[in-house]
Amino acid sequence: MVGLGFRRDFAEELIEGKLITPDFVEFAPENWMNMGGYWRKMLHKVVDKYPVLCHGLSLSIGSPDDLDMPFLQQVKDFLDEFQVQLYSEHLSYSKCDNAHLYDLLPIPFRKDAVQHIVQRIQTVQDFLQRPIAMEIVSYYTPVAAEMSESAFIRDIVQQSGCKLLLDVNNIYVNAFNHQYDAKQFIQELPLDRVAYIHMAGHEQVSDDLIIDTHGEAIIDPVYDLFDWTIQHIQPVPVLLERDFNIPEMPALQEELSRLKQICAKHWPAKNELVA
Amino acid sequence: MNLSPNTYEAQQLFSQYCRDGVYKPIPGVNPARMEHYRRLVFNVVRDNLESTFPILFQQTDEDTWLFWVNDFFQHHNCQATQVWKMGEEFYQYALAQDWQTKYQLPHLRDLLLFEWTEMELYNMPDIPYPAVQAQGSWENNHIALNPEHRLLVFNYPVHQHATITETTTREGHYFVVQYREPAEGNILFVEVSAWLAFVLEQLHNGFTLQDIFPYAPALHIEVNELLVHNTISFLQDMRARKLVLGFAAEV
Ligand SMILES: [Fe+2]
Repeated sequence: MVGLGFRRDFAEELIEGKLITPDFVEFAPENWMNMGGYWRKMLHKVVDKYPVLCHGLSLSIGSPDDLDMPFLQQVKDFLDEFQVQLYSEHLSYSKCDNAHLYDLLPIPFRKDAVQHIVQRIQTVQDFLQRPIAMEIVSYYTPVAAEMSESAFIRDIVQQSGCKLLLDVNNIYVNAFNHQYDAKQFIQELPLDRVAYIHMAGHEQVSDDLIIDTHGEAIIDPVYDLFDWTIQHIQPVPVLLERDFNIPEMPALQEELSRLKQICAKHWPAKNELVA
Repeated sequence: MNLSPNTYEAQQLFSQYCRDGVYKPIPGVNPARMEHYRRLVFNVVRDNLESTFPILFQQTDEDTWLFWVNDFFQHHNCQATQVWKMGEEFYQYALAQDWQTKYQLPHLRDLLLFEWTEMELYNMPDIPYPAVQAQGSWENNHIALNPEHRLLVFNYPVHQHATITETTTREGHYFVVQYREPAEGNILFVEVSAWLAFVLEQLHNGFTLQDIFPYAPALHIEVNELLVHNTISFLQDMRARKLVLGFAAEV
C-alpha cells in the first residue's frame, strides 16, 4: 500500500478521490487533536474513505525532559477516535529545558542516550498499548557521538522492542551529508523490524549539504535506493510525504504510481497495512 | 533520567543555540551546519506567529517584528505541544513584557486578543449546540445563541482593520462578538452597541428579553417600543447570520 501525508492544501481532492487516490492517509496528530469546526469534519470524511496511520511530532523521545503524559493521553484519544492502525514518531528531540522547539533535533549517539530512550519508548508503548515505529531522522551534524549511528539505532530497536520507520530519503540525505554509504548503512539496521517506509523530496543547498525539505519531488537516486531497500524487507506500507511547494494533483499521483510499481515488482503479495 | 551530564549538556547547548542563535561550542558538532538548525527552527516560530497575527504583522516594521519573535522564543519556554497554540503564549508574553507601553502601541492588547481569539475559535473543540425550535416569542422564550462565540470588549477599534494611527486615535468602548459559523466553520464578527452586548450576555446566561428589558434604565437606556423593536430585529438578523440559533426547545 502506498499512502500520502495529509495536508490542508489537498484535503478536498483526497476526499473526492478522483485526481489523487492513495491507499491510505497519514495524519500528524499534533496538527489535529483537540480540534473542532471545519477540520474535524474534514478529518472524519478522510477516515470514512481511507485507512489512517499517524506520525507524531511532539513526543520528543530523546529529550532530557520528562515524558509529557497528559500529551500522550491526548495522542491516545486521537488514535482511538480515528481508528489509527499505526503510530510512529521520530528518533530525535524537540523539547529541552521545558521549552518546545517544534523541530527535530539530533540526539547524541551515545550509550546513555540509548538507555534513556529505550526506557521511554517502553513507557510510551505500555501507555498506548501498542508498539510504536521510530523514524531515523535526517540530521545535518552529529552531536557528541561516541558510537555509530547504525549501532545507536540497532541498540534502541532491539532493547525497546519498538519497530522501525525507514525514511529512505532521510538515509539518502544523511549518507550524502555525512559521506557514508547508504546501502551499507541500511544493511546494518535490524531490517526485520521495519514496519513503515517514508519517501520524500529534498533540496541540495550547497556542494556538501542537502536539507530535508519535503518540498520537491522524489529524485531518481532516492527511487533507486528505495528499489534496492525493499528487496531486503517484508512488505510494509509506504508513504509519500509532501509538505511544501505542493504540485498539481496529477504530479503527486504520478509519484504514488511510481512507488506502487516498484512495490509490485518486489513484493508480489499486497503489502499489508500493518506488517 | 539515564543521561550523563555530558550528554545532557550537549543537548542543552544545542537547543539553546536554536533558541538564541548564539553559538557556544558543542563537542563533535560541525559549527558550519548549525545555522541551518537555527534557521529552520526560527522559521517555524516566525511563520506560525505571522499567520496567527496577520494584522499585527502587517502593521509592524520588519526589524521590530523579528525582534519580538526572537525575544519571545529566546526568553519564553513554549509549552504548547500543538504549534498553532503558540499564539496564545505570544499574546501573554507581550502583555507581561508591557510592549504596549514600551512601543507606544496602546491598541496592542486589543489587537492581539482579537487575532488570537479568531485562531482559537477556528480550531477549538466543538461545543454541542442546544436543541432549538424555529417558532417562539422573542420576548418570552429563551433564545439559544451559537455557543461557539466570544464577547470581546476593546478600547480601540482593532477589528476595523484600519491603520495604526486611525486605530489609536479613536479610543472608546467597542463591543465585538466573534463566533464560528456552523456551515464552513469560518470565524465571523459583529460589532454591537453596549446595550446589545449586555443583551447577548444575559441571553447567554439564560434570561429572556422580558427579564432583560427592566435593566435598561440602569444602563441609562429608556425602554420604549423602538428599543424593543430594534433589539428584536437585531436578534432576527443574527439568526440569519447564525449567531442566534433559534428558540430554546422547551423541556
Ligand atoms: Fe519521514
